[in-house]
Amino acid sequence: MFFLKYVLAELRRRRGRTVLTALGLGVGVALVVMVNGLSTGLNNAQATVLKPLTGVGTDMSVTRPLKITTGGRGAFGSLSPTARKQLRSEVGGGPGLNFASAKAGSKIDTDTFRAAGDLTFSASELKQLASLKGVESVAGSLTLTDTHLSGTVPKIKIKQSQTSGGGPGGGGASFGPASGSFGGGSISTSSRTITGVDETKPALAAVTPSQLTKGSYFTTSGSAYQAIVANGYANSKSLSVGSKITIDGKTFHVIGVATSPLGGTASDIYVKLTTLQKLAGYGGQVDTAEVQATSAADVTAVSTAIKKDFKNASVTTAADLASRVSGSLTDAKNLSHKLGGALEIVGVIAAILIASLLMLSSVTRRVREIGTLKAIGWSRLQVVRQICGEALGVGVLGGVLGVLAGVIGIVVLNASGWTLKASVAGASTTAAQSGGPFGLGQAASSAITAGSTAVKITAAASVALIVLAVCLAIFGGLVAGAAASLRAARLRPAAALRTIE
Amino acid sequence: MSQQSPQAVREPSAAAFTPQPEPAPETYELSGVSKVYGSGSTEVRALDGIDLTIARGEFVAIIGASGSGKTTLLQLLGALDRASGGRTLLNGRDLQTLEERELTRLRRDTIGFVFQQFNLVPTLTAGGNIEAAIATTKQDGRQRAQRVAELLEIVGLAGRANHLPSQLSGGEQQRVAIARALANGPSVLLADEPTGNLDSATGDEILHELQRLVTDRGLTLVLITHDAKVASAALRTIRLRDGKIVEDSE
Repeated sequence: MFFLKYVLAELRRRRGRTVLTALGLGVGVALVVMVNGLSTGLNNAQATVLKPLTGVGTDMSVTRPLKITTGGRGAFGSLSPTARKQLRSEVGGGPGLNFASAKAGSKIDTDTFRAAGDLTFSASELKQLASLKGVESVAGSLTLTDTHLSGTVPKIKIKQSQTSGGGPGGGGASFGPASGSFGGGSISTSSRTITGVDETKPALAAVTPSQLTKGSYFTTSGSAYQAIVANGYANSKSLSVGSKITIDGKTFHVIGVATSPLGGTASDIYVKLTTLQKLAGYGGQVDTAEVQATSAADVTAVSTAIKKDFKNASVTTAADLASRVSGSLTDAKNLSHKLGGALEIVGVIAAILIASLLMLSSVTRRVREIGTLKAIGWSRLQVVRQICGEALGVGVLGGVLGVLAGVIGIVVLNASGWTLKASVAGASTTAAQSGGPFGLGQAASSAITAGSTAVKITAAASVALIVLAVCLAIFGGLVAGAAASLRAARLRPAAALRTIE
Repeated sequence: MSQQSPQAVREPSAAAFTPQPEPAPETYELSGVSKVYGSGSTEVRALDGIDLTIARGEFVAIIGASGSGKTTLLQLLGALDRASGGRTLLNGRDLQTLEERELTRLRRDTIGFVFQQFNLVPTLTAGGNIEAAIATTKQDGRQRAQRVAELLEIVGLAGRANHLPSQLSGGEQQRVAIARALANGPSVLLADEPTGNLDSATGDEILHELQRLVTDRGLTLVLITHDAKVASAALRTIRLRDGKIVEDSE
């Protein structure tokens, strides 16, 4: 086919012009590929940040935080009588330390478990939650603060005050995690957070198999005294897989080490839920319910239903979490969201304009040739087809060059190991950050734990994106070709032949 | 006016695709033709009241100083431009009234052009340049290839089909241009200083080539030249001055 032969001859033999025009388009295409790839990378990075917290779009975390005020009748004065009763039951029901019954000079070594401030859900409430329309699955977890006290009971007499009103101390006074010494004796305290996870639903658990950096996950058939420790805690206590830790006199075997999820429940130790409930005396109770919705579309409805059916329930969805993520990752993502699209459009328009100008310039230099073609019988349409064919070829070349440049840019970006910081602001729902009787309030509970992490940005170019980019280049080439060829087609042959080149 | 009226020798393959009306006895009939460029104070009257008849098979040389209107006249004869006034008939058809599409068809099928600077497409080979003229017809690839080979043979360039213009001498390039002009079997050959860019010996060769074509194929040849020697080869010479015919050797 002569037309194709002529197009190829023009592209091949006017190599400089062809490459220059193709590069003009290629710059725009490369910009689209890189900005899109980067945007995808930022989206993936944010999804990576959010993934440990909830399955994006389909999961939610349900808690019932205490709402504590500092006015009125003490820290818990605003609680309803029912809530106070429940809290008294939860906190008071644990194995507290009663100095009234301790003999001065005697040795003590005990663990005290305290719910960190959330009102717990009972087993029946979990079932009720699971039966809600739109709920696919529910997994409970229980996070407790374990205060370990050891030492010699001091020779002091403690007058135990009876709490009234909003005070939670129904079962005797108890010390919080603060350490101190009394009279002739000495007592040291330390605290750690322990979370009981439903090992039968690892995907929804407070610690998931994907968070493990060493060792293995809980097995339902395995020992009840298995533990997974957080990286930070393992480092500070020199623990590793195979180590042993003691909780309330029971020896647990460390089977795994896990990274702490950004923003999620970050405990020092994870054990099986039933084991912790039994040890701490919280039989059948959990303080957080991880809920998986049937579909992303059900999340809002399920969230509303939970808030309606469970008084004081706080529902944290992936969207809530996403809104709390900040840092350079979010800044970059916002920038990409706001400017990325505009940058792509400007880039493509600039590329098309550059290509059009180059094509026009090229056609201007070929006016005499076009005049000759008309003189030997070429019609306007045939001239337009020829110029557009060449422009199409330049567009395809520009697309290929642009995609190559864009992909190389992405590879270089990924190889540079660019990382951004993602921070999650904690949603402190238990406000007593200090004081509080025996530690209550010191370990402020929250649905979202504050934290930050560095996230590696891995830009990605999809096949669809590459196809789109090539199509854009072809479109750009055709626009450029149309602009140039219409000018060429309008030329009268006599005027074209008079042109001095 | 020449008394010759030989039948045009059309290439069989091209003739099949270029149906022509019954030939008129005269190829060209121009009456009161004028061409004006610009307007007002910038107006230039390139041709002014040209009356001219050119018979089929004539070899006419148009001479005159620069700016006398030679090229403008050739462009009007070649349907490359429209006159500002008067009537231009080619084979009985008024070029003033034809639509652009019909003028294109006329340029393709009836008229062949040879330019001073050859005007070959630099990116196409000799064969490609000739094929560019045939590509606008409905001949298939095999027919086109055969026709290109025939034409190169006619102009003595067999075996040069794959040479780019830059790889050919000036004379060879002009031969390719002549072959291209003959590609669709025209009845009229218009040549604008065809030897102007060639040395004397090569110019002579090209001139003889054109004369041979006129004789062998019965073509009407209208040639512009500054060269008296070239002009003397024509059977008829028309001299232009300031857009008017001041001498016609007919």
